[in-house]
Amino acid sequence: MTTLVSLWELSLLLCLIALLGVAGLLAARLVGERRSRRREDLRKILLPALMRGDAPDVRPSRLARNVAANLTLELAEIVRGSDRETLLQAATSAGAGEELARRLRSRVAQDRLIAAEGLAMFPSYCGDVTRVALADPVPDVRLGAALALAQEGRAPAVGTLIRQLGIGTSENSMLAISLMRDLVKSDPHAVEALLYDLDLPDAVKLAATEALAESGAVDHAPLVEWMAEAAEDDRELRPRIIRALGRLGHPAGHDAILDGLQDNAWQVRAAAVEAAGRAILRVAIPRLAELLGDHEWWVRFRAGEALCRLGTDGHQALHQVASGADPVARVAAKATLAERRSA
Amino acid sequence: MISLDQTFTGGWIVASAEAVAVVVIVTGLLQVGFYVFQLLFAAIALSTRPPVPRGATLWRRYSDQAPPISLLAPAFNEELTVVESVRSLLALHYPHFEVLLINDGSKDGTLARVIDAFGLQRVERYIDDRLEHANIRGFYANPALPRLLVIDKQNGGKADALNAGINCCRTPLFCAIDADSILETDALLRVVRPFIDDPNLTIAAGGTIRIANGCIIDSGRVVRIHLPRNFLALVQIMEYLRAFLMARLALGKMQVLTVISGAFGLFRRQEVVEVGGYSHGTVGEDMELVLKLHRHMRDLKRPYRIDFIAEPVCWTECPEDAKVLGRQRSRWQRGALECFAKHKSMAFNPRYGRIGFLGFGQILLVDVVGPLIEVFGYLLVPLLYALGLLALPWLLAFLAVTFTFGVFVSVATLILEEVQLRRFPRARDLAVLTFVAVVENFGYRQLSNFWRLQGWWQFVRKQQSWGTMTRKGFGSAASS
Repeated sequence: MTTLVSLWELSLLLCLIALLGVAGLLAARLVGERRSRRREDLRKILLPALMRGDAPDVRPSRLARNVAANLTLELAEIVRGSDRETLLQAATSAGAGEELARRLRSRVAQDRLIAAEGLAMFPSYCGDVTRVALADPVPDVRLGAALALAQEGRAPAVGTLIRQLGIGTSENSMLAISLMRDLVKSDPHAVEALLYDLDLPDAVKLAATEALAESGAVDHAPLVEWMAEAAEDDRELRPRIIRALGRLGHPAGHDAILDGLQDNAWQVRAAAVEAAGRAILRVAIPRLAELLGDHEWWVRFRAGEALCRLGTDGHQALHQVASGADPVARVAAKATLAERRSA
Repeated sequence: MISLDQTFTGGWIVASAEAVAVVVIVTGLLQVGFYVFQLLFAAIALSTRPPVPRGATLWRRYSDQAPPISLLAPAFNEELTVVESVRSLLALHYPHFEVLLINDGSKDGTLARVIDAFGLQRVERYIDDRLEHANIRGFYANPALPRLLVIDKQNGGKADALNAGINCCRTPLFCAIDADSILETDALLRVVRPFIDDPNLTIAAGGTIRIANGCIIDSGRVVRIHLPRNFLALVQIMEYLRAFLMARLALGKMQVLTVISGAFGLFRRQEVVEVGGYSHGTVGEDMELVLKLHRHMRDLKRPYRIDFIAEPVCWTECPEDAKVLGRQRSRWQRGALECFAKHKSMAFNPRYGRIGFLGFGQILLVDVVGPLIEVFGYLLVPLLYALGLLALPWLLAFLAVTFTFGVFVSVATLILEEVQLRRFPRARDLAVLTFVAVVENFGYRQLSNFWRLQGWWQFVRKQQSWGTMTRKGFGSAASS
């Protein structure tokens, strides 16, 4: 009989939990709706004041600071330059900075991330962001804070930041490239120094390479030399380095691209073909024409694209292959030419 | 629990009845245990998921690194909605994407409507040939709309159309969607996150599907979330919440996700091509693709991730008619059984690790034996009671536990939804859904199991048809 009673008790318990859960949800909703009306009233007062850069005429309260912080985050996304400075001054006097600094220690990671991104705009709170958010247990918060600080040009030393975030080891996000781009703007030579740090993983160096390649802030010759050397190693990063060499188009990288065209891995060949087209490597035309018959579609497709980029000589090569003996290459060349004609 | 009636039965009847009852009870308990396990994991997954930035932040952070995506939208006889659907897809907020609308041999004016509406002209396109599909009749594009390409092909079914789309796509990622679904504007930016955060590992990611019936829709966007008035649609809202916010979220967290809905899933093209794309001749091609990806990556011993993201939302219309819903459910059941049968060698095979044990264990428990055992229980329990082999208090107690647990799981999912996502704007909606969570146990649940048994029967008879899926269309939903 004990089991039977237990079954009934279990049913009752499940009912009770469900009932309490729903009652809690509804109660929270009702309270939340009342709060949101007060919040809406405060927004109507604070919004014009913040936009004008005036000190807001509201009684200081937790809710007022909260609304000011949220408004600041929203508005800061759409204003720039002196307007933003005016906004941040008004936001500071409305207690937005104070509120965001409080949220930096919230239990919810989402709140901490948003707070860190917002606070990075306030020069007086950047120390807090560096100290608290960059040591956050959640990697997304750390990376978000680093990105925000770097965007504002207030990030700590590059090497320290890389190690603190664990880029290339525990942190593999492609956002590391965005971070590196922002870091290059404020300290290109520190980013360049990463390339020669033997302790750093390849992913960091690659992110640094791509960021440096896109910026005009460094002398490209030594960078390309380093990239060409790195591209000789049989590493997974090779296609990305070759692609970056293509974007740079520096003559010192041409040999590495030409070598890539002969590689056994199709990913490297495809990257090299793309790079040859971007770098307008006319010397590669015969090999590109051969690669129209590659067994991998991506290589054939990129070879067609590259030949089209290479002007008259490239087009001539495509026409020759289109009437050639290799059926695979012929189809690729014909299809590429037909696509160009119809585009 | 079974009372022995000495005058009526021999010992073997009682023993058999007891054995059958034990099988039913043990299966039921295993299912309950698995649901509790899923609830726990779903709660952990939601509370530990990466911080979800607001739309503007999302764009600022991710747009630079967001890889190009091809949106593959197969369309078959959708002349009434296709133009609006394409407009809505072209208006998505994502830096680099291309919409590949695949006209899968429509017999109505689908192709003509798109050509007229977007001023398309016939073009040529050099495409990959690794995946098999029915013949492509032509490509249509407009230089002024570089993001749109229409592929006109002979009819071959949804899997065939998607394979054609994959062959035509030139981006590292493709997103398979239903042309008649509505993606939220930032859905792509949200679902692509795992591919940016873990680019070397992530090979597929799925997003949440929600029911749009009852919602206000304007210009291909859900502008106001409302609950439908139709009871079947309301029940399906609860079902989708349980399926996505509990089951898939939990399975994704455990890295044993076995389905990414065909209505909205993002895949790395390379791996999908390596496994041969979508399989022809199955009605569960979306589930099968995910299973093939698991098998492929495990066979090659390559590390990988298949993720589920709770935030990116795709809105879809659900059937409000029992006949159409029944056809859909029996088809889903058949699809799950076909996938299980096709990949049974993975089940409980140590070579496939957790996907073999947890993933296939879940399919076996919930999809394969679940409906059989539950229907068997419905038949057996009254029979045992009528034969005097089951005492009334036990019968009632078991029924009470079964139903209250069903309600508990639904309410727990609603709580997860409310705490983490909060998509229902009114408190009244929550109250209505709670009521539905209770009521669905009496009648709908049994009907649903009947449809699933029909699916079993179709599977046994190797029936291959899809059945007609009639839709009202979002235009009428908007006006309701």
